[in-house]
Amino acid sequence: MEFTEPVVLVLTSLAEGPKHGYALAKDIEGFAGVKLGPGTLYGALSRLEDRGWIEALPADDRRRPYRITAKGAESLGAHLAAAQRVATTGLRRLELRPAR
Amino acid sequence: MTKPWPTRLLLAYPPGWRARYGDELDLLVNDLCEDGRRPVPMAIDLISGAAAAWCGIRRGFAMSERSRNALITVLWSWVAFAATAAWFGHDLAIYPSRSAAPVIGRAHPAVPDAYHVLLAAGVVGLAATAIAAVAFAVEAARAARTQRRYRTFALMAVPLVVAGVWLGGTQLLGSGSDTTARMTFAVFWLLLGLAGIAGATQIVAKIVRMTDFSAATWRIGSAAATAVTAAMLVGTGATITWGLAFRAGQGHNPGDSWLIVTAILAVTTGRAAIALIGSRRATSPEPAVA
Repeated sequence: MEFTEPVVLVLTSLAEGPKHGYALAKDIEGFAGVKLGPGTLYGALSRLEDRGWIEALPADDRRRPYRITAKGAESLGAHLAAAQRVATTGLRRLELRPAR
Repeated sequence: MTKPWPTRLLLAYPPGWRARYGDELDLLVNDLCEDGRRPVPMAIDLISGAAAAWCGIRRGFAMSERSRNALITVLWSWVAFAATAAWFGHDLAIYPSRSAAPVIGRAHPAVPDAYHVLLAAGVVGLAATAIAAVAFAVEAARAARTQRRYRTFALMAVPLVVAGVWLGGTQLLGSGSDTTARMTFAVFWLLLGLAGIAGATQIVAKIVRMTDFSAATWRIGSAAATAVTAAMLVGTGATITWGLAFRAGQGHNPGDSWLIVTAILAVTTGRAAIALIGSRRATSPEPAVA
């Protein structure tokens, strides 16, 4: 599965614990400053559920929480580790760039 | 209280998708509107989400977890079928002894016919498996290199190493006298081979589960699974026909082994066919399934 930004944001939010749609939207807005639209958020949720990276929990008053699976956590971990390597390299190279 | 107007755009989503997520999405749009989100960007996002959901359904068969599980079920069924059919086919060629087999074959043409049909089904199944295996192996290796999952390479090597070691041992077995110790070792080696086949199949299933394959590769896998299941159906039919022809000619059943073999072939074939049909039904309510 392609690691689009919404997919990473949803998995990162669920890494903290199960959340339903609105709680996910608010949490993502809080830690990333990104206002995910409802269509984008549920598009990511359906793809992640289809892939077995998240699973739905029993609904509570029409609000259905989702939680990350072990497979999803492993994939997110691998992606974030790779992203961290790129970020570290990029930041180091920016520091080494001579001033003009 | 009236619902915010963007919720009407949920009608643009595919019916199956709406049945699963519609209520939750409706509630989220309500919550976000109450929270002060502007409706126009939200409406644009919903239209874009609906388009993506329709496109996702077109890829649905290739990408769904159910299809992945179906493919693995067909693989396991095929391995069990092939091992049983190979044993039975071998017996069929020499039944009840090497000298008697040609005599029975002339008297009952169904015997050699069943043997040849079983052989042809095996060749078709193996060819389809080999083609799919190459496509899956190439993509799994590419994904492992990109994601630096070097464990995948080690897993991919296991079936080849197991096959090499087992075939090497079989060659050694072939060059000796028929002593009791040798026969005991032959039985042990056969059981070890079966364990190796089961282990190698489990590893292939693990690679299929842990790798994200493209839609094209899934289509190859799906076509191979269909060919393999068809071959299994033909092989099972040939085995049943052989038994019935034998009974008609000899006046009695060909023995318990035929019943056991037929049962194993029928169960594995049925399991593969049900898995394959189930994976297609899962996406059939939607239009334009790939």
